[in-house]
Amino acid sequence: MKYLRFLLIIYFLQLSACDFASKDTNRDASVHQSTPIHFALSQAPLSLDPRVATDAASERVIRLIYQPLVDFDQNFKPTPKLADWQMVSATEYLVSLKSPRPLFHNQQPLNAEDVKATYDAILQLANSPLSAEYANIQKITVHDAEHLTFYLKQPDPYFAAKLIIGIMPKQLLEQQHDFARYPIGNGPLAFVKKNNKLVLRRVADGQIITLSEVKDPTVRVLKLLRGETDLLQGELPAELVKYLQTKPEVTVKTSPGANYSYLGLNMQDPMLSSLKVRQAIAHAIDRQALIDKVMVNHTRIAGAILPPEHYAGNHSLKAYDYNPQLAKRLLTEAGLSLPVKLIYKTSTDAQRVRIATILQAQMRPAGIELEIRSLDWGTFFEDVKQGNFQLFGLTWVGIKTPEIYTNVFASNHFPPNGFNRGRFSDATLDSLLEKEDWQAATDRIHEQLPYIPLWYEGQFAVSNKKITNYSPKPDGNWDDLATIRKYAH
Amino acid sequence: MNIIKRLTSLFTVIFGVLLLTFLLIHLVPGDPVDVMLGESANMADREALRADLGLDQPLVNQFGSYLAKLMYGDLGQSIHTQTPIIDLIKVRYPATVKLALLSLLIGIAIGVPLGIFAALKAGHWQDFVVTIVSVRLSAMPAFWLGPVLMLIFAVWLGWLPVSGMDSGTSIILPAVTLGFGLSAILTRMTRTSLLEVLNDDYIRTARAKGLSEQTVILRHALRAALLPIITIVGLQMGSLLAGTVITETIFSWDGVGRLLVESIEKRDYPVTQACVLIIALSYVLVNLATDFLYRIADPRMRYA
Repeated sequence: MKYLRFLLIIYFLQLSACDFASKDTNRDASVHQSTPIHFALSQAPLSLDPRVATDAASERVIRLIYQPLVDFDQNFKPTPKLADWQMVSATEYLVSLKSPRPLFHNQQPLNAEDVKATYDAILQLANSPLSAEYANIQKITVHDAEHLTFYLKQPDPYFAAKLIIGIMPKQLLEQQHDFARYPIGNGPLAFVKKNNKLVLRRVADGQIITLSEVKDPTVRVLKLLRGETDLLQGELPAELVKYLQTKPEVTVKTSPGANYSYLGLNMQDPMLSSLKVRQAIAHAIDRQALIDKVMVNHTRIAGAILPPEHYAGNHSLKAYDYNPQLAKRLLTEAGLSLPVKLIYKTSTDAQRVRIATILQAQMRPAGIELEIRSLDWGTFFEDVKQGNFQLFGLTWVGIKTPEIYTNVFASNHFPPNGFNRGRFSDATLDSLLEKEDWQAATDRIHEQLPYIPLWYEGQFAVSNKKITNYSPKPDGNWDDLATIRKYAH
Repeated sequence: MNIIKRLTSLFTVIFGVLLLTFLLIHLVPGDPVDVMLGESANMADREALRADLGLDQPLVNQFGSYLAKLMYGDLGQSIHTQTPIIDLIKVRYPATVKLALLSLLIGIAIGVPLGIFAALKAGHWQDFVVTIVSVRLSAMPAFWLGPVLMLIFAVWLGWLPVSGMDSGTSIILPAVTLGFGLSAILTRMTRTSLLEVLNDDYIRTARAKGLSEQTVILRHALRAALLPIITIVGLQMGSLLAGTVITETIFSWDGVGRLLVESIEKRDYPVTQACVLIIALSYVLVNLATDFLYRIADPRMRYA
């Protein structure tokens, strides 16, 4: 009797599964243009408040829910979005809002008071990671509904490129509205709800778009093939992308990327402070082989943080070739006995560990024994910030202005005053950075190798055949969700 | 007296777990202030936020204040989302309990009958097949079995959703993934326990009395063999309630295990502590329930 009960339970579970299958088939048959578009992400946005969000997923969604004053063109130059600007003096920027402007999602108009309230809120909010970046703002004066002036404490020629915060309604800011969970902006997508997925509605046509977190890359692919998700972007291992390229039911689009992957070196390490050792490491990596084997199409060898197409990009940087014999010679000339032992820290991400393993194999013939330490993200990043490493691997994502070189390599930008995590100090480079001579500065960086450049990872998006109007962007943003279409087949 | 002893032991275990967790998460490198403010924040902002979160206090004070709040049932707020943790637990824990119970049901439904069958056919080819299958099942990790089941039942057959929590049937694949592993253990345990009692005198007596084989096995042998099975079920239920991180992650199942891992990644100390507290409580309560079941299964223990 007990067995019979167990068998009945299993039987009913199967029946319910069949029931689901039939419902699903019916649903497919009635697909039309207003069917929600499902986008699966590896990491859900952590916060929808532009004042506190720092993770890539949050920043990408925030770009769609809110609108900034300024955006960037294809060459990464600041371009007007909600407003034009005029540099009245080195410390004074006049901002003029364009007309007409989209209303906030609560149907209130956006005006200069909202802009002032947004930037003031960043400076006043205790837990805003942006307050340091905007600490140079002395005051903001509103002239009328469409004009305001930012007064700076110190001259900043790149200030216009910092006007990229999504504008929030003043009235709600004053009411301490919880923007992190219930965002209200004036972007192309409006917030609907968030439970185990984020649901957005396109303002222009009411199209519903859902964003759900699916951590495992294989599961994301299975969901796409099953039709449970319509779109994936990035963060799949190359072999899964190649597998998807063989499937007729999906479309894979790739494009060149601008996010820079590199090996960071600790300049306070006695071995790595030697230029010859750094050059040896640069010659011990076969970047092209790595790109061919484990990276997606359109991945290209990198020379500097900013890609060549950037207005401050450097076209003349020549990649270090793979030459294990030369690397060995350089290590010997540096007075080291072979093999040289180095510790490489990375996260637990499968692709990162795979790259580390390949680097380890490539460096062995060059006389370098690489020990891989794969750490959970929090521990790994803490070690990087504290300078507790010899080598580490990371990627700079979404970098737009050449100021990054100063933040990362200037000798007065050691953490916590900047991102010079390798504690690199070079008077020649400091002087070039001071003069903002980006070409000469990037030449010098390439020569001195505080970073070993790897590549700009190609971007890709995979969708089913019902999806059109979506392409991957160089910095991996999701801006095309504003125009994406889903059609019935 | 026994109840007082039990409750004292329960509170000691919970206190020990809380203290250990508190110390461990503060020893691990990483700081929630860094995670929230990023590297570019200046020292003044960092210190202000640290004071705001109470992280500038000595560890003893922080722990004391945490315990004091806990006495009033206040688990605190998430550092990152500023959400009351009790709200997070209210959503996540039932999901984990649901998954754990169904997994357990599947594990028992498959494991116990198979174990009985294997014991009755001990030494025959059927026993060999069951042994091979159970060993194979127990050797399959969830991160492999889960995607295989998804491929077969979701992508190829189209019967079930791949992952998520959108429909009532979403629970089946994660529960089966967990249940298969459990069934393998239960099969082995049931077979071994049953084989031990099948040769006992009282079983021979029962057969000699002319009782049917079904009655001998189900009423006499299985009851005697039940204690080790209850132990295993109790232990497994404890670990299932602790949240099966890998299965929850693969199947996008928003349970307490996934919440725990996310909170560790973000160095969200109060959430981590709350998750560990809930998990420890689950373990202790399941152990109590197991003891209670012992008494039902074995009358001798009631008088011990």
